[in-house]
Amino acid sequence: MADIMETPGDFDIHGASLSRRGFIGAGGVLLVMLGLPAGRANAQTNSLDAAKPASWIEIHADSTVTMRTGKCDFGQSSIYTAYRQIVAEELGMGVEAITTVIAGDTDRTPDGGGTFGLLRNASVNMRKAAAYTREAVLELAAQRFGVARSALSISKGVISGGGKSATYGELISGQTLRLTIPVEGSLTDFRGLVVTGNPPMKNPKDYTEVGKPILNPIIAPKVSGKTQWVGDVKLPNMLHARVIHPATLGSTLVAAGKLDPAQYPGARLVQVGNLLAVVSPDEWQAVQAAQVVAADTKWSDWAALPTSEKLANHLRTKVDWSIVPPTKGASKGDTATPAARHHSGAYFMPFLKHAPIGPSVSLADVRPDGSVMLHTHTQNAQFLRAAIAKMLSVGEDKVVIRTYPGPGHFGRSNGGNAGSEDEAVLLSRALGVPVRVQWMRHDDMGWSTQSSAMVADIAIGLGPDGRMLTYQATHSGPPMQDDRPIGALLAGLPTISAPTPDNPSPIHTAKMGIADRWIYGAVPHVSETGRGTFQIGEHESPLKVGLRDHSMRTPIQFQQNFPREVAISEAAMLAGKDALQFRIDHTEDPRVRAVLERLRVESGWDNRPSPAAKAKGAKVLRGRGVSMMLRDNGYWACAAFLAVTPATGEVKVERMVLVADPGIVVNPLQLRRQAQAGCLMGISEALHEEVSFDTGAVTSLDWSTYPILTAAEMPDLKVVIAPYAGADVYGQGSESANALAAPAMAGAFLDATGRPARRIPLRPEYVKAMLA
Amino acid sequence: MPKLTVNGQSREVKASPDTPLLYVLRGELEVMTPKFGCGLAQCGACSVLVDGEEMRACITPIGSLDGKEVTTVDGLPARWSKQKGLAHNPDRLHPVQQAWVDEQVPQCGICQFGMMIKVTELLEHNPKPSDADIKAALTTSGPSPHLCRCASYAAILDGAHRAAKLMAGEA
Repeated sequence: MADIMETPGDFDIHGASLSRRGFIGAGGVLLVMLGLPAGRANAQTNSLDAAKPASWIEIHADSTVTMRTGKCDFGQSSIYTAYRQIVAEELGMGVEAITTVIAGDTDRTPDGGGTFGLLRNASVNMRKAAAYTREAVLELAAQRFGVARSALSISKGVISGGGKSATYGELISGQTLRLTIPVEGSLTDFRGLVVTGNPPMKNPKDYTEVGKPILNPIIAPKVSGKTQWVGDVKLPNMLHARVIHPATLGSTLVAAGKLDPAQYPGARLVQVGNLLAVVSPDEWQAVQAAQVVAADTKWSDWAALPTSEKLANHLRTKVDWSIVPPTKGASKGDTATPAARHHSGAYFMPFLKHAPIGPSVSLADVRPDGSVMLHTHTQNAQFLRAAIAKMLSVGEDKVVIRTYPGPGHFGRSNGGNAGSEDEAVLLSRALGVPVRVQWMRHDDMGWSTQSSAMVADIAIGLGPDGRMLTYQATHSGPPMQDDRPIGALLAGLPTISAPTPDNPSPIHTAKMGIADRWIYGAVPHVSETGRGTFQIGEHESPLKVGLRDHSMRTPIQFQQNFPREVAISEAAMLAGKDALQFRIDHTEDPRVRAVLERLRVESGWDNRPSPAAKAKGAKVLRGRGVSMMLRDNGYWACAAFLAVTPATGEVKVERMVLVADPGIVVNPLQLRRQAQAGCLMGISEALHEEVSFDTGAVTSLDWSTYPILTAAEMPDLKVVIAPYAGADVYGQGSESANALAAPAMAGAFLDATGRPARRIPLRPEYVKAMLA
Repeated sequence: MPKLTVNGQSREVKASPDTPLLYVLRGELEVMTPKFGCGLAQCGACSVLVDGEEMRACITPIGSLDGKEVTTVDGLPARWSKQKGLAHNPDRLHPVQQAWVDEQVPQCGICQFGMMIKVTELLEHNPKPSDADIKAALTTSGPSPHLCRCASYAAILDGAHRAAKLMAGEA
């Protein structure tokens, strides 16, 4: 064993603390630890193995770096591309030095928090941690070289000054160094820990790693078949489970169906409250047996949903919007100011499904000592850990979440569960062996959360000059974030609260905020109001289930941006103005103007008022529309070119052009791929998607009853990345691209037909009604 | 006991002949690249090649595969080596897989095993497909469209064109 010599004395690094814990004979490491506020240390029940380093950034004697993040990858690639670039940049290293990224697992990552806003808030943690680290290494170099820190410079991982130079590895070689950086927050809260303080950050003008189009290193192992996906994990003595969910979203179990042991030897029926499942060592047997048992199981009747056909009417006439206090968005002037001409419209956005290609799957191992190891695919592992501990009434130290690649589900698990996790835990606890719960397609469609519906009423007053004088909008809908695990609800076990107006967790509120940033600053009189309510059917359901809602991509903003942007296109037509120029004329933000001007050029936009001139006797009508969104300091604009066949109601997207100014572009290659796919998913939502439900249950249960975009429907697609010079924040990717398609397509529909499309999807039956 | 030929190897399996291939591959044979997506032949995540034709493993009983050759994404490199008479090289990917890396095709990637199988089938029959050929292969040539929820279709088209070039030795 190497000699270890404790040396006294810590060095202050911009509020972080560098401690030389010892010298060792060989190797050497710099660990970046988190320093919790005084009094909070004991509250952090992290299940980190004390024998293993829990550092955010770990620099080794060979100058390679391991970084750890509680965030996961869902196809964005950011934690394997952008995060490595951001960390390397602040360290002054090449990105290739960041050789290892450890993500998600609650016992191997230090920070927690959900996988959302990866380049917004979440990247700031990594960036600050790296900046503290670089400053600490500069301190080491200053001591070794005998020069002031200000005399040092870093390039490609080499620190130089006073005629001397050394690599990161050389500076830490032979030592064990711990840098403790200040953080606040709570590990297992929704948002996790936040790095505090203000270490000096590198000037974006000096960037060398950020901006490179580096490849995503997890793609090669995925396509070669080497990656272990969440559904591939197996444990000794594991049983396969298929859950038999209730007949409706409010049905309780009356009598479980019979399982014939002669037909299905080895299969067993398990019941925990209203949670019913068939388990078997053989997966196909579990599938078959569950089908037979399900057909023979009796559930109580329940019918309290308004049906999807009557949903818009239900929201408009049956909901008491006075129970949940309203919120205000943009507000200025007096929208009662008399106007020369008026547009008013009622808009509707349906429930949407996250609809991952692979249904939720999890493997849980609840051991005799009560500890839980849960193998799953989640966007918020630490918050899931807290939910599992709460459900079981055990300490969070008893629960470990391990994460794996899995099907993208676009926000559904950013509050912990995607669906099957808690059911696997409860079944494993009941049986004393590891249990793998694979939801079938109908489970995932029928029993997952969904992106909630919204209605909007928008009134726009035009002045005598045809400019917008007043803009008044009311956005009304159920909440967007229910993180109660379904298995816990079925089993009658503890969960966090459903969305309520006064929820102690602000994200889980029933209040409707205004999420769409107002960008038309030249309009003198503006009033935006949000009206919230409870989840549909939740209070009526004996299970307290009903239609549970959950954020999906641009949550709430998508549902509010669609009506706003469509209404503005309608107002432009009323004013006899070009829809793109009309937007430019009403903004005071140079970045809004710049992306719209760029869109005009890139799309070959023809300046003219809507509607488009119709050729005599034309069977197909063509038009173009525009939409604009400001999200997370990213400015996005979209032009859609549609063909509408009135006789059949068919809408075909022929061309899409997207212009993005996301600020600093970390990785243009990955951003382009994200924007392309995000835009196409937006077309999918606008053309096809709507959750259907009857009075008791979701009836969109497979890909024929919830169709999504096919390759054949892909239009000609152009993505232009046009960052604004001087922007100093990192841009987000596919979320905004996703939201822009629907309002641009509705604008094109208006241009083609002269009739507004105030709802999606643009399915033939709705299109025919719009044209009737 | 039923016998299956999977990725060039003859394998005896315990499952009954009516068991869908997907459960046998993943449960008994540890061939994990075909993924469970719908169990209804509606999405293509479980696609495999059976004697070079794309089929849905989730609904194909193993009893129907007697004497036939099943290829999954795991077996694509060896399939390519055999077709081209190349020496075994554990690092070599099939051109379709290589193109998927070069073009950074996957987002989450769960559907891409089926996409790569479908594009391999296409390119073995049509070495220089047009955009329309690729779209048709992915949409109308099988029991259902091959679905990608991330909507990575633009990248898939780029990947298919790149794979065609790699297979022709043009890249």
